[in-house]
Amino acid sequence: MIKVSDLSKQFGELRVLKNINVQINKGECIAVIGPSGTGKSVFLRTIAMLEKPDRGTICINGTDITKKEINLNQIREKMGMVYQGFHLFSHLNVLENITLAPIWVKKQDRNVAKQKARELLSTVGLIDKAKSYPRELSGGQQQRIAIARCLAMEPEIMLFDEPTSALDPTMTCEVLGIIRKLTKMGLTMLIVTHEMNFAKDVADRVFYMDEGGIYEDGTPADIFDNPKKEKTKAFIRKLKIFNYEIQSTGFDMVSMNAQIEIFCQKYNVRAKQVYHIQLLLEELMMEIFKQCYEGAQPDMAFAIEYSDENNEISIYLTYRADDFNPFEYGGNDIDNLGMVLVSKISKKHEHLFENGRNKINIKL
Amino acid sequence: MNSFLEVIITSFQKNLIAGDAYLIVLKGLRVTILISALGLLFGTILGGILCCFRMSKITGLKRISQLMIAVLRGSPVLLLLMILYYVAFAESRIDPVIIAVIAFALNSGAHIAEVMRSALEAVDKRQLEAARMLGFSKTKAFFAITLPQAGKIAKPVYQSTIINIIQWTSVVGYITITDLTRTVNNIGARTGDPFFPLFFGILLYLGLSYLVYALFSIGKKRGEAI
Repeated sequence: MIKVSDLSKQFGELRVLKNINVQINKGECIAVIGPSGTGKSVFLRTIAMLEKPDRGTICINGTDITKKEINLNQIREKMGMVYQGFHLFSHLNVLENITLAPIWVKKQDRNVAKQKARELLSTVGLIDKAKSYPRELSGGQQQRIAIARCLAMEPEIMLFDEPTSALDPTMTCEVLGIIRKLTKMGLTMLIVTHEMNFAKDVADRVFYMDEGGIYEDGTPADIFDNPKKEKTKAFIRKLKIFNYEIQSTGFDMVSMNAQIEIFCQKYNVRAKQVYHIQLLLEELMMEIFKQCYEGAQPDMAFAIEYSDENNEISIYLTYRADDFNPFEYGGNDIDNLGMVLVSKISKKHEHLFENGRNKINIKL
Repeated sequence: MNSFLEVIITSFQKNLIAGDAYLIVLKGLRVTILISALGLLFGTILGGILCCFRMSKITGLKRISQLMIAVLRGSPVLLLLMILYYVAFAESRIDPVIIAVIAFALNSGAHIAEVMRSALEAVDKRQLEAARMLGFSKTKAFFAITLPQAGKIAKPVYQSTIINIIQWTSVVGYITITDLTRTVNNIGARTGDPFFPLFFGILLYLGLSYLVYALFSIGKKRGEAI
């Protein structure tokens, strides 16, 4: 149905889309997710040729629509686009909004178009509003009208560009309900959305977009329950990450602690936990410095991950040295008070040794 | 109180009734309306053309119209009128009313071109894109979306442009045309009681303005505003 090959687009210096290759089959419903500014909307707009790609081809039903001689108006008749900001025609009432394109573009008979519009209005539950003007309607109602306006042209492909981002939760619900209905009509749909539960529920496939392309592509179960790649994981689990590197035993620990504190404050981590993180890192580092880097410069890095979803904090510390597990200290606890503290604070901890690097994973 | 009323009635008779003066006033009013209406008509046509040129992608046309608009908008209509009468058409025996129409068409044309341009540019481009996504060609989208919306945006400014023209036609007396202003002035000079006819003149101009206002309010529908 839609086949995108080697698609690239850049705005000035910024490369938004880099060599995208993807195929979308007829009747598939695809949710496009990902952080802001990763080209989700641009990808959608490029499929509609609202942005001209710099390189690559887009084939719809075997026709390459990036070619100059293609009549885009005909292609777009079969394509509906629903915007974040609705973009209804402000000088026309609801019924005229829906019938305008069938009458002007498809040359449909006025009465036939009106009849069809009324049917669509009952589908989206707004038959009472036929004579209202867009500005008299709520956002959710406007968006449902916008969907009906697209459907009046009997499209084969529907593109949704964050259809619920400008709506409050109740209105979001109304609009998602309608989109859910459409999935049963066999339309090919691409939905850029931040509603993860909706995406999980409705989509046949999910594209996670990042780094200027489709970073991970899979079924909702793949992407949401079992993401394979680093950034997908971080996004799905709503992880916030703080990275830090240490290359000297005399590094500025005060500054490090201050940075950790700022990072934690940003995500409302409790003061006690912040203190625990700082204490734990300090004790661990001192122990490792003592055992591994006597008179040498350390090669050490750590990451603090905070999950917005379950308020879990994980610390990943790696250091290049011989295999050394600070948790397996010899002697009694009194001599190793630092490590006793670390063990007590952490819920779970493990030590691994791979390719000359020690890895310590701790959950708080 | 009674004497005040009497004074008014006397003035009224002396200035407007005696010697069928009101017929002369009506004649002057007719000239004012004629110059205004024709000036507006040709001004709108010229404005449309200038606006097209101004917004065209051809640099030559754009520059020419920019220059014309700047010169015409920047010069007083009275001077334009006098240049046309005493310089451009000095040798020809053309009717001064036609010269006045040309002057007002040129002056208002430049203003109307800018009114049109700002209205066209104020139309929501996103609605235009929505139309293109529904399969509208550029031309169809212009007539179905841009034009009706720009019309609504331009309406109030266009209305005040009309009222402006009507009032500025009061200077056509300078090129020997007997319009409304000139007529009431003449009557005042003849009767030696200038206050009443001049004041009556103002009332007539006010009436014209309200007429324009009334015409524009017809057909205003609910929820129509953008």
